[in-house]
Amino acid sequence: MSQLVHRHLDCGVEFAAAVLPGRPTAALEIRILAGSAHEPADKLGLARLIEETVDKGTARRDGRALLDAFDAIGAQRTSGTGRDLTGFSCLVLPEFLLPAIDLHAEMIRTPTFPEEACRVAVELAIQELSSLEDDPQALAGKLITRQAYGRYLGRHPLGERETLATITRADIETHWRATFSAGRMLLCVAGNVDPAAVADHVERAFEGFGSSGSSGREPMPLEFMPARRHVHKELEQEQIGICFPGVPVSSDEHPVERVMLGVLSGGMSGRLFTEVREKQGLVYWVQAWHEHPRGSGMIHLGASTTPERCDRTFETLLREVDRLAEDLTEAEVQRAIAAIVARTETRGDITRAHAAELVADLVHHGRPIPMEERLARIQAVTPADVRAYLAAHPRDRLSVLTLGPRELEKGR
Amino acid sequence: MSSPFVDERLDNGLRVVVEVMPDVRSAACGFLVRTGSRDEEPELAGVSHFLEHMCFKGTYRRSWREINIEFDEMGSTYNAFTAKDRTFYYGWVRAGDIERQMELLADMMRSAIPPNEFDMEKNVILEEIAMSSDQIENLAYHLLHETCYRGEPMAWPVLGYERTIRELSRDRMHEYFTRRYAPDNMTFIAAGRVEAGRVVEAVRRLTAEWQPSGADRRDGRRAPRFHPASASRPVERFHQELVLMAFEAAPATDEQDEDAEALAAILGGDNSRFYWNIVQAGIAPRATVLREDHQDCGLLVLYGLCEADRIERLADAMRREAEEVTREGVRPQELQRVKNKRRTSLAAEAEAPYYRLVQIMEDVDYYGRPMTIEERLARVDRVTVDSIAAYLRRFPITGPGVLIGVGPRAWPPAESP
Repeated sequence: MSQLVHRHLDCGVEFAAAVLPGRPTAALEIRILAGSAHEPADKLGLARLIEETVDKGTARRDGRALLDAFDAIGAQRTSGTGRDLTGFSCLVLPEFLLPAIDLHAEMIRTPTFPEEACRVAVELAIQELSSLEDDPQALAGKLITRQAYGRYLGRHPLGERETLATITRADIETHWRATFSAGRMLLCVAGNVDPAAVADHVERAFEGFGSSGSSGREPMPLEFMPARRHVHKELEQEQIGICFPGVPVSSDEHPVERVMLGVLSGGMSGRLFTEVREKQGLVYWVQAWHEHPRGSGMIHLGASTTPERCDRTFETLLREVDRLAEDLTEAEVQRAIAAIVARTETRGDITRAHAAELVADLVHHGRPIPMEERLARIQAVTPADVRAYLAAHPRDRLSVLTLGPRELEKGR
Repeated sequence: MSSPFVDERLDNGLRVVVEVMPDVRSAACGFLVRTGSRDEEPELAGVSHFLEHMCFKGTYRRSWREINIEFDEMGSTYNAFTAKDRTFYYGWVRAGDIERQMELLADMMRSAIPPNEFDMEKNVILEEIAMSSDQIENLAYHLLHETCYRGEPMAWPVLGYERTIRELSRDRMHEYFTRRYAPDNMTFIAAGRVEAGRVVEAVRRLTAEWQPSGADRRDGRRAPRFHPASASRPVERFHQELVLMAFEAAPATDEQDEDAEALAAILGGDNSRFYWNIVQAGIAPRATVLREDHQDCGLLVLYGLCEADRIERLADAMRREAEEVTREGVRPQELQRVKNKRRTSLAAEAEAPYYRLVQIMEDVDYYGRPMTIEERLARVDRVTVDSIAAYLRRFPITGPGVLIGVGPRAWPPAESP
C-alpha cells in the first residue's frame, strides 16, 4: 500500500503524492480547474488552444527548444482539455521528476504564445473539427454531449468553426491569464519520491504564479434537458447514444452507481453485452459508462448497429436498464464488486495509474482517498443499495441521439 | 529490472515461456496461436478472427455465459486479438488468480465451436465489418494491403469480407481450428508475480490431453512480394483526405529493426520533423510515420490526414521530408532524444505484467526467444547516425512505393507513380 501525502501549498497549488518505493518510473499529473465550460460564449475553443500553444515558446526558449528539453529527460508527455479541466501528464525515470516539474512550471507560467503558433493552432482546430465529422463514434459523442449537458458543460473542446475563426493571439493570452493560476492548480506525483522535497520544489516552482486564491474553482452547472434527435448521415452503421443524469463522484451514492454500471456493463458477463450482443447478435460494440464533470454526473449508454437493427437495439438497451430494478441478483452485485476491486488492485502495479487516481481524487473529493477506503466503500454496496439507487434515480428523462442513415421508429 | 526466463517445450509441442517479476503484485498470461489471416485460403478470409470470437462461445465444459462470468469474477482484464500472422488470448489478474486464469484460457483453446452459436456470432462479425467500413483509416489500410500485397494472403483484411463471412461454414472453421490450434503451433506465456515451476507444471497438467498436429505455420508462409503502385478510393461522405505512402521496410527479425524504429520516430513521432514541418506549418492536423513489421516483411508508412484541397501540398511535404532525411541523414541530437524516451517507455514496461506479456509474445513469435529489458535497451543503444543512413540505403523511402488516397477526391490520379 502506498503512503499518501496531501498539502495546500502557500503558493496556492494543491499538492498530493503517492509514495511507492522501488518503482522504476515516476508520474506527474497537473490539472488546471478550467476547461471549455469556462470560455466566453463567443470564443469557444479557447481552452484547448491554450493547451495547444502553451508549449510553443516560453520566456526562456522557443517551442522546439522546450520540447527538446523535455526529450532530454526522456519525458513521455500528454495533455488534454476537458469540459472543466485542462490536464498535463508526464512519465519520467525517478531521477528526472524534479526537472520535469521545472519544465512544466516554465511552460505553464511563462508561455509567449508566438503569433504564428497561435494562428496555426486555430487553423488546425478548424481542420480537426472536420476530421471529427469522419469519425462516427466521436461525432455522436459530441452531438449528445451538446444536447444533454447544457450551455456550459455541453461544449466540445474543439470549439465551433465560427468562434474559432475570430480567436486571436491576444484572446488566447487573455484567457490564459484569467484561468491559469496556482490557486486553480492541482499537482500530484506518484512513484519512489520524497514527498516533502517534491512539495518544497513545487512551492518554489509556482510561487507568485497568479492568484493563490481558490476563486474560479466552483463546479460549473450541468443543465440536463430531455431531448430526442436524429442526425442523418450516410454510414454503414447507426450510432445510438442515450444519456440521463447520474450522481457526482463526491456523492455517497457514487460507489452504488459504479456497482450498478458493473452489473450492466462491467465486462462480457454484464447485462448489455449478454442481452444485446451474445443473445441477439445485434452489435459489435455496446457499452454503459458514466462521465463526471466536477459536482455532477451523467450515465451514458452507447451502441452501433446496422440500420435495420437499430430499433431492436434501442429497445433492448432501455429494457435492460429497467430490468435492473426488477430482477437484480446478489450474485451479479457480488461479481461487479469483485471485478472493480480486482481491477483496481491489478492496475496498482502501474505508477501512472496511481498519479491519475490521486489527481481525480483531488478534483472530485478534495482529498486523496486511500485504496483501502475506496475499496471498502465499493465492498459495502448491497443489492438493496442498488435498488434504492434505481428508485431514487429513475431513468424517466432521457436524452437520445441517433446518427446514421435511419431514424428510430416513432413511438419507441 | 532484469528477470530470467523459463522457456520450455512440453512433450505435446507446446512451448511455455515465463518471466518472473518479483516487484509486482499482479500477473498476466496468454496463449499465442501462430495463425492469422495470412494463413487462410482466399475463400476462408476472416476465419482466424471469427474463430477467435468463437473461442469465447463455449467449450466442452463451459457455456459462453460461464466463460464470461468466470473472467469477470476474477476481475480479469482480458481479451483477444487477431492479426495477419497471429492470434493472442490473454488475461491480467491479481497474482493469486493466475492459475484459475490459466485454466480458463486453456479450456477456451479447446473450443467446442458450438454450432448453435455460430450463426449468432456471424452477425456480430458482420457488424464489426460494418463498423470498420465507417472508419476512413480502416478503409485506407485495407486498400494499402490490397495494393502492395495484391494476390497474396497478406492482402486481405483480418476481419475478412462480408461475402466470405456469410459463406463460411462451421465445418470449414472446425477443420481450420483442428489444424491450427494444436499445441505444436502454440505458445503459452506468463509474466508477473508467479512461481515459474508451478506455472510450467500447471500448463503441463492443463494441456496433457492436447495432441500435436504437425502444422508448422512456416510451412505455408512465404514472404509476400511488394508491388509499388498507387490506388485511390473516393468516398463522398468523408470530409478529409487520408494519404498513405508505404515503402518496403525491415522485417521484425532484421538486425536493423531498431534503426527503422528510430527513423520512424525522428521523422514522424512527437517533436519530429513531420510535427514541426507539416503539422506546425498548418498543412495538416495529423502527419506521422508508422511501422508495420512481420517476421518476413515490413512496411514503413508515411501517414497524413488533411482537408481534401490540401492533399497535394501534404503529399509533397511528406516526400520532401523523406528526401531530406535520406540526403542529409539524421542529427545526433535527434537520435539521442529518441533513445531517452525509449528508456522511459522500457521502464514503464518493466513495471506492468500485461505490457511485458505482449512484448514477450512478440519477441518469442518473431525472434524465436524472449528478450530482457536490458537486452532491448542495448539494441536501442547500438543505433547510430551511420546505422540509420545504412538502413536507408537498404530500405529507401524515396523510390517507388505505394501511394494510397481515401476521401472525397479521386486522389491520387491513376497515372501517379
